[in-house]
Amino acid sequence: MLDMSTKVDPMTEIRTPKMAAKDVNVFYGDNHAVKGISLDLYRDEVTALIGPSGCGKSTFLRCLNRMNDTVATCRVEGNITLDGDDIYDPKIDVVQLRARVGMVFQKPNPFPKSIYDNIAYGPRIHGLARERADLDEIVATSLEKAGLWNEVKDRLDSPGTALSGGQQQRLCIARAIAVNPEVILMDEPCSALDPIATAKVEALIDELKGRYAIIIVTHSMQQAARISQKTAFFHMGDLVEHGDTTQIFTAPKEERTRDYITGRFG
Amino acid sequence: MNDHIVKAYDNELKDLRSIVSRMGGLAEEQLVAAMKALKELDADGAWHVRSSDRALDQLELEAERAAIVVFARRAPVADDLREVVAALKMTGIIERIGDYAKNIAKRTLAVHEAAPVVMPLLLEQMADEARRMIQDVMDAYVHRDADSAMEVWERDEALDNLHNAAYRQILARMMENPNQIGALTHFLMIAKNLERIGDQATNIAEQVYYTITGIMLEDARRPKRDFTSTELVEE
Ligand SMILES: Nc1ncnc2c1ncn2[C@@H]1O[C@H](COP(=O)(O)OP(=O)(O)OP(=O)(O)O)[C@@H](O)[C@H]1O
Ligand SMILES: [Mg+2]
Repeated sequence: MLDMSTKVDPMTEIRTPKMAAKDVNVFYGDNHAVKGISLDLYRDEVTALIGPSGCGKSTFLRCLNRMNDTVATCRVEGNITLDGDDIYDPKIDVVQLRARVGMVFQKPNPFPKSIYDNIAYGPRIHGLARERADLDEIVATSLEKAGLWNEVKDRLDSPGTALSGGQQQRLCIARAIAVNPEVILMDEPCSALDPIATAKVEALIDELKGRYAIIIVTHSMQQAARISQKTAFFHMGDLVEHGDTTQIFTAPKEERTRDYITGRFG
Repeated sequence: MNDHIVKAYDNELKDLRSIVSRMGGLAEEQLVAAMKALKELDADGAWHVRSSDRALDQLELEAERAAIVVFARRAPVADDLREVVAALKMTGIIERIGDYAKNIAKRTLAVHEAAPVVMPLLLEQMADEARRMIQDVMDAYVHRDADSAMEVWERDEALDNLHNAAYRQILARMMENPNQIGALTHFLMIAKNLERIGDQATNIAEQVYYTITGIMLEDARRPKRDFTSTELVEE
């Protein structure tokens, strides 16, 4: 008999995905924008979504916290679960869902309020803090986790919009994590940032990945290679290839992936 | 493979590839010239091989510079990354082949100065085989032919067998002609050099195979062996 005990590969051990998308199709009227995509997303892992403009990355991302609900022409089919529960179940509280699945956008979009209130807003409406001291605590730790605390601790009352672009983006990340999300969706979070601010956000993503499942859309191949463990390549609504980031960037299996990431005509 | 959208990138990679294949051709020429000088005990020929080695060193430096520029400018990934890394490694390996040829030339001069001794025939066979390995692996590189690269890799054993035979033959001659031991020792070392050239050709084959397929040649061959061994155990 073979001794199987030594043959267990820790990588193939069964893990339960934080979120699972199964055969997801999205239509804007007649436009079939996302075509039968299945993708599992795990905690402790950053998944990068890459692909040419218009291939459905943002559309797919927005399905994961039902941001597409607000688009009248948008129809989502298929099954998406968070910890095994269908997020499109009519009984689901969408506001609650968006607290669990937070989002950071391409352009930093702080509220026209103080730095403090930008962070405190979410915890307040979700009733996460009973007293002012609790709220102070949440604001401080969120800003700390986002690597912004030292830069703003002396001016929490000044408007969030008065921060630099990179600081604003970290403020938005702090705002997203203030409500204790489990998943963070990021849609090109660094596209408006300089290399230093980008590096800070990337360092932050690295820090955060132990606590959250992070899905990031990026047009920078180098960024995808730097920060993600899994990469998914979208092309015209299809998921062409999904795998370990190192594998995708050293030896992709699909020609379309290769042509895209190496900058070839495809 | 489709072209890059940025044409200059294609040109940079093309330049790099052309340096690598020029080096391959040059190394092959050096080996042929070194063996010819050895066979004819031609000191001028041997000197020429020694001084020509510098060209390979120069080309290696050129390749290194070109590769660094590609890294800095293009941040290559996937097939391009494998291409540039392989080019860097291959030029290093080919430069080593040049060194072996140079060493053969040095020993030729030493044999020439001592009593001239007839070259063992097996050395010629070894050199032929080694030269063909270089030629075929460089062809595989130019034509992106992974199967041919693997085929060269597998041929190394034949050269090893020739080496063993040559070794025994030279030892026998040493025993028969103790007065030729000095020259024959050089032949022994030359046989070793030729065997090492074959090893380097297999190293190139590994690089070529990985560049083309993205799979390590060792890994490509391993599963077969593993399956048979587990099947044997289970039955
Ligand atoms: N609100 C919308 N209404 C109608 N069609 C939309 C809407 N948003 C996206 N689409 C369409 O869906 C398809 C996918 O768009 P999506 O924004 O998901 O692409 P993307 O991959 O995020 O592109 P980019 O990299 O440019 O952000 C496109 O054809 C787009 O025109
Ligand atoms: Mg988008």
